[in-house]
Amino acid sequence: MKQYLYLFRGGDEGYANLSPEEMQAHMAHWTEWMTKISQNNEPVPGLPLHNEGKVVAKGGEIITDGPFTEGKEIVGGYVLVEANDLDHAVEISKGCPIFEFGGTVEVREAVPM
Amino acid sequence: MANPSTSSLVDHFFRNEFGKVVTYLTGKFGVAHLEAAEDAVQDALMKAMQSWGYGKVPDNPTGWIIKVARNKLIDHLRRQQKVYYATQLPETETEEPTISEDLFKDEMVKMIFACCNPAISTEYQLILTLKILAGLSIREISSALIKKEETVAKSYTRAKKKFKEENIILEIPSPEDIQNRLGVALKAIYLLFNEGYKTTEGEQLIRKDLCEEAMRLNQLLLDKQETNNEQTRSLMALMHFQVSRFDARLDEEGRSVSLQNQDRSKWDNQHITLGNRYLTTVSDGMTNAYFLQAAINGIHCASPDYEHTNWTYILILYNHLYSLNPNPIIALNRIYPLSKVHGPELALEQINELSNNKLLAQNYLVNATKAEILLQLDNLSDARAELELAIDLCANAKEREYMTRKLEEISL
Repeated sequence: MKQYLYLFRGGDEGYANLSPEEMQAHMAHWTEWMTKISQNNEPVPGLPLHNEGKVVAKGGEIITDGPFTEGKEIVGGYVLVEANDLDHAVEISKGCPIFEFGGTVEVREAVPM
Repeated sequence: MANPSTSSLVDHFFRNEFGKVVTYLTGKFGVAHLEAAEDAVQDALMKAMQSWGYGKVPDNPTGWIIKVARNKLIDHLRRQQKVYYATQLPETETEEPTISEDLFKDEMVKMIFACCNPAISTEYQLILTLKILAGLSIREISSALIKKEETVAKSYTRAKKKFKEENIILEIPSPEDIQNRLGVALKAIYLLFNEGYKTTEGEQLIRKDLCEEAMRLNQLLLDKQETNNEQTRSLMALMHFQVSRFDARLDEEGRSVSLQNQDRSKWDNQHITLGNRYLTTVSDGMTNAYFLQAAINGIHCASPDYEHTNWTYILILYNHLYSLNPNPIIALNRIYPLSKVHGPELALEQINELSNNKLLAQNYLVNATKAEILLQLDNLSDARAELELAIDLCANAKEREYMTRKLEEISL
């Protein structure tokens, strides 16, 4: 098994117009999906990220405030999953609720150490 | 690790939190910042949605939402220095406040009185209540009220403007004022309920939500001593009886089913029991229009079938209701029970008089009721003619369908 990083990007524009009721429903989809992709009876490791942050460059000489890119590009969170190969990892990502509002999942294979 | 997942949240948690937290923050920061409070809570809920879905809900979810929304609101106000000097603003907090349900309830009751202020038109009262207290979006409100989204959005903007212009503050009305003000609030709550209940058109789920919201707001008034009186309890009884029939009003094909033909086993007994319980707490009902309507509904709910309905009681209650509020709709609703108690001849005489009333002109229910009376008199040809007129006048597709079926039955 290899490790894959999912980077969840975007969806924020679609979220802005949701009613509280719709938000709760969408959140429930995330919980369901996270449960579905859990492995070895454990939730997959991963966390949501705040939109705010800093970009540090040149050894700290340049520090800029986020957001760093357009709203649809911001990474909103990540998880690490195990899969046989890239195709398999892509397959697992297909049920992700981020697609409901136009977001994307970037799937990256981790280099084993 | 022990934190529960989002599936442990009760139904409508976000929607209810929206109303609670917007009300709480508006109380703290002032009605002038209602809009900013709404935006802040919307943002906080969005943040909750994006984080909690990963698996865990904080120990104190309400406190979490308040903390995030409050900090967002303070940031917003700080950017608007013309409103406040930054020094006067409270610091943003890292603590999640724990606020008692009683405090929320107090604030929500004040918000009910604010939204249902007599200086605001009933149309605007309804939209403010639905948006702020019930936590529905403009799109949901438009779907529930079967109105265009942009129309509702415009009304809401105007309603909020009026809200600010009238300098409405969040308070419990003074003891001299409270009965009048409560009357206005109960009227708005019942209007909200009826918006959900009155038609079987549109999406039923969201319409039932309106009924539930109306009952939830009424419950808030019942939970508070100053606003728990015989009117409030009677209205609660009325809504319980009506909502007990919500699902029985439609058949499998989604067609409207009249009271006469409803499958009474589909009526929700829990609601009927609660309705009866509230009714028994009212001692002086004959001058209370909500009580009288509730009692009429209660009699229907208690009857094993339509034929065995106690029409004598129903007629007495209608007579009281009419003397309290002599309007032609009540007079019209009184006709059928009258025909059952005193015979169809008298009923026909009275409905003929009534049909000249301008307020009932073009109202299909006049012709539909007349058709019922004529059927009792075995006058099939006139009954058919009245039904045909009623079908022409009726704007509700489901009702039209029902009457067309009836017409076919009597034409056989």
